[in-house]
Amino acid sequence: MSEEQTLELLIGPQHPGSGHMRLVAEMDGDVILNFEPNIGYVHRAVEKIAETKTYVQIIPLVERTSLPDTANHNLGYVLALERLLGIDAPLRAQYLRILLAEINRIHSHLYGMGIHGNMIGSTTMLMWAFGDREPFIELAQRLTGARLSYSYIIPGGVRRDLPQDFRNDALKALSYMERRLKDYDRIFVHNPVTLARLKGVGVINRIDAARIGVVGPNLRASGIAYDVRKIEPYCIYPDLDFEVVVRDEGDAHARLLVRIGEIEQSISMIRQILGKIPDGSILADRYLDLVPSRTRFEKRSSVKFPALFSGLKPSKGEAVSRVEASRGELFHYLVSDGSTHPYRFRIVTPSFKNLIAFKHALLGQKLADIPAVYGSLDYFPPEADR
Amino acid sequence: MKPKDRRAGKLLGLTGHMQAIRSGIEHIFKPRMTVLYPEVLQDLGPNYRGMLKLRIDICISCTLCARICPSNALKMVKVDVRKYPGITYQRCIFCGFCVDICPVDALEMSGSHDAACYTLGEQVLKPEDFSKDPVIEDKPRVKPLFDEKRGLRYESC
Amino acid sequence: MNVVEQLLQILLSPTIIIPLIFPGLLTTFLVIIFIAWFERKLTAKVQLRYGPLYVLKSLGGLPQLVADLLKFLFTEIIIPKGSDKKAFILSPIFLFTLSMLPVVAIPLSNSYAAFFSDLSLLLVLALLTITPIFMLLLGWSSNNKFSFIGSLRDGYLMMAYEIPMFVSILAMAVAYDTLDLVQVVGRQSSGLWGIALNPLAAITFFVAMLMTTARFPFDVAEAESELVIGPYTEYSGIIFVLCLGASYAKLSVLSLFFAEVFLGGWNPLIWPLTLNPILPGVAVFVKGLLVMGLCVFMRSIYPRFRIDQVLKLGWHTLFVLSVASVALSLGIVWVLGF
Repeated sequence: MSEEQTLELLIGPQHPGSGHMRLVAEMDGDVILNFEPNIGYVHRAVEKIAETKTYVQIIPLVERTSLPDTANHNLGYVLALERLLGIDAPLRAQYLRILLAEINRIHSHLYGMGIHGNMIGSTTMLMWAFGDREPFIELAQRLTGARLSYSYIIPGGVRRDLPQDFRNDALKALSYMERRLKDYDRIFVHNPVTLARLKGVGVINRIDAARIGVVGPNLRASGIAYDVRKIEPYCIYPDLDFEVVVRDEGDAHARLLVRIGEIEQSISMIRQILGKIPDGSILADRYLDLVPSRTRFEKRSSVKFPALFSGLKPSKGEAVSRVEASRGELFHYLVSDGSTHPYRFRIVTPSFKNLIAFKHALLGQKLADIPAVYGSLDYFPPEADR
Repeated sequence: MKPKDRRAGKLLGLTGHMQAIRSGIEHIFKPRMTVLYPEVLQDLGPNYRGMLKLRIDICISCTLCARICPSNALKMVKVDVRKYPGITYQRCIFCGFCVDICPVDALEMSGSHDAACYTLGEQVLKPEDFSKDPVIEDKPRVKPLFDEKRGLRYESC
Repeated sequence: MNVVEQLLQILLSPTIIIPLIFPGLLTTFLVIIFIAWFERKLTAKVQLRYGPLYVLKSLGGLPQLVADLLKFLFTEIIIPKGSDKKAFILSPIFLFTLSMLPVVAIPLSNSYAAFFSDLSLLLVLALLTITPIFMLLLGWSSNNKFSFIGSLRDGYLMMAYEIPMFVSILAMAVAYDTLDLVQVVGRQSSGLWGIALNPLAAITFFVAMLMTTARFPFDVAEAESELVIGPYTEYSGIIFVLCLGASYAKLSVLSLFFAEVFLGGWNPLIWPLTLNPILPGVAVFVKGLLVMGLCVFMRSIYPRFRIDQVLKLGWHTLFVLSVASVALSLGIVWVLGF
C-alpha cells in the first residue's frame, strides 16, 4: 500500500538537468523521500589506462578526468610523480604552476556558477559566466598554448615561461573580473528570486559535513576551514597571503558565496604571484643538463624535454600527493615497480567525495530543489567517474 | 575568514528587484562578448599548440616523438629507407609533447586548429603530407586584446 | 453574383474579420513571431551575445521563428504508445484556440469588436480560465511523469494567479463603474489612465499575467532543468508548436487587455480618428507590445521560483494587494464620486 503513495522519478541520463548520470528520486507529492544518484555513465577507466602508459604520457590523461579543472589535476599527478622521482622544481616553475592553478580555479568556479545559474533558470548567469571565462582561458592559452588541456606542468618544472606582456594582460583581466563580480551580485547572487531558491536549501550542517566527508568549497560552506593549501601547503602557497573562505550556513547559497569568495582570493593570489615571481630556470637542472645545449631553455621561452622523458623510470616505491583542486581535495596515489609504467595509479577526485552530499542534502527537500542543490555542489560527473 | 554579504541586507525585498532590473537594462547597451566564429576566426597567437608540421629535411628519425605521444597519433612510417613520423589527426590531442621532445626541432606547431575533414583518410597524414604546411583557412581574423572594462576586446588584424 | 456578394459580405463582416485577421489569428501570429524574436534578441543583448541572426541577416534574424515553424511542420508527430490518443492530439488544439478566443471580446475602437457585450471585461477573463483544464488534460494524456507533474504545477499555478487577477480587475470595474471594455476605455479619456488611477491593481494584474503566461520568474510548469519542458514533454511537430504558441497567444491577448484596462486603450486618440478601427487598433497594439516586451524582459533578469513559493506569493502577497486595490478603488469612487 505504502509503495503506491510514492512516485519514483528517474531523472536522466537523457534529461536537461541531470548531467551524465541518473538521479533516482522517490517522491511523496513534492517532497523527496529518498534520493539515489546513479553514477558511472562516463567511466573511462583512467586509472587502468594509466597502467599502460609511461609516466609523462599520463599527464594529458589525468587532465581528462576533469576538463574544467585540468591544471590542478595535472599538478596533483606531477607532485606525486616528483616525490617518486625525488626531484624538485625550481622556484620560478613553482610560481608558474600556482599561477596557472589559480587562473584555472577562477574559470572552473565560473563554470560551476554558470551551470548553477542555468539550473535554477537564470540563463543570464550562464552566459555571463561562460563569457567571462574567456579572458582567463585566453590568459592560460597565452601561457601554455592550449585553452583547456594545458599539459603544462611536467616533472621538474613547467613547459613554458611567462610570455611578454602577460603581467599587464593578467592585471587587466583581474580588475575586469572584480568589476564583473559586482554585476553578478546584482543580477544573480543577491537577486531576491535566487535568495528565495537557495537560502536554507540543501543544508549540510557542520557535523554532517565532516562525517560524510564532503570536501572543498562545499565543506567550507558548512563552517569547516579545511583547505589543503593551508593544512598541507604545497609549492609556494606558504609564501602567499590568502585566507580560507568559510561560511556557516551550509546551504546552497553559502556554497555559491564561498565560490565567489574563492574567486576573490584567487585574484589576490595571482596579483601576489605576478608581483614577486623570481627569475630563474623553469626546469630542474637535472633534466636541463640532459637537453642538447643548442636547444636549451635559456635561448627560448619554452623548455625542451630531455629524451629521458619518453621512458622515465622512477625507483621502486609509492607516493601520494594532495592538492586543493577547485572542487576540493584531490588525492593521487602512485605505485612504481621500477619500470616505465606505474604499477598502480589511484585518483580520488573531489567530485566523487562530494557525491554523497546529494543523498544527504536533498532528503526532505522539494523536487525543484534538485537542480538548485546539484548546481550548488558543483558536481562534475566525469570527474567522479574518472 | 568570512566574506561580507555585499549589501545583502539592503538588497532583500524591493531594492533587490530594482538592482537586478537596472543591471539588466544597463547591459542592453553594453558591447557584446561574442565573436561570430565561422565567419571570423580568432587569432590564436604565436604560442598556440595547433596542427603540426614536420620538417623532413632535418628529421633524424630518432623516434622520440612517436615514443612520447600519449595517444599513439604519431607513428614512424617508412619512406624509402628511413622512417619518419606520420600523424593521425583523429587521435592527436595537441599536447605538443612531440614538439618539445624533438632534439633537432624538426616538428613545429602552427596557430591553426581547424582540422575538419570530409573523409577519415584525410586525417591520416603520411610523412610527405605531414611536411606540408597545415591548411589555414582564409577568413578574416580578430585578435583578442585584454581590456579592463570589457575583459576581451577583439580587433581585426 | 448575388451569392458572391453575399459571401463577400459575410467574409468581410466584423464577426469573421476580427477573429481571423485583425486583431485575431493573423495579427496574433505576426505579433507572436515578433515577440518571440524580440524575447530572444533582448535576452541575448542582456547576455552580451547576438541571438538569432542568420535567417535574413539584414533584419537581425526576424524570420527565425518562421524557419523554426517550417521545421516543426515537417517534423514527425510522435504519439507515445501509452498515451490517450484523442486527448493527446485534441487538447493542444483546444488550448491554442481557447487562448486566442478572448480576442473577440476585446474592442479596438468604439465600434470595432466581434462580440459586443456589456460584460466584456469579465468575458475575456472567463474565457482564459478554461485553458488550464486543457493543460491538465494535456499532461495527463501524455502518460509521462514529467508531463504529469508539469501540468499539475500549472493547475496549482492557476490557484495562485486566478483570484488576485479577478479581484484586481474587480477593483478596476469598481473604479470605472462598468464591465464593458468600450466604456472602460471611454472612462480613461480624461487622461487619468488606470495605471495612475489604481497602481496597486495594475501591479497585481501584471504579476498575475506573468504567472498566467508562464513567463519568468514563474516558469515553474515548464522548468527545463527539473521537468524537461513540463506538460509538453512528449509533444513533437506542429502540435508542440500549438502548445508553445498558446502561452504566447495568451500573453498577446492579456497584454491587449492590460493596454485597454490600465493604459488607456486607444486614448489619447479622439473622436474623428477613432472612426476607422485601424488607427486606434494600432495604438492598442503598440501599448500591448510594450507590455509584452516588459514581460519577456523578465527572462533575462530572474531565475525561476519554486512552486510553493509561487503559491505563497499568490496568496500572501498578490491576494492581499488585490484586496487592497479594491479598497483603494472604493476610496477613489468615494472621493472623486464617479
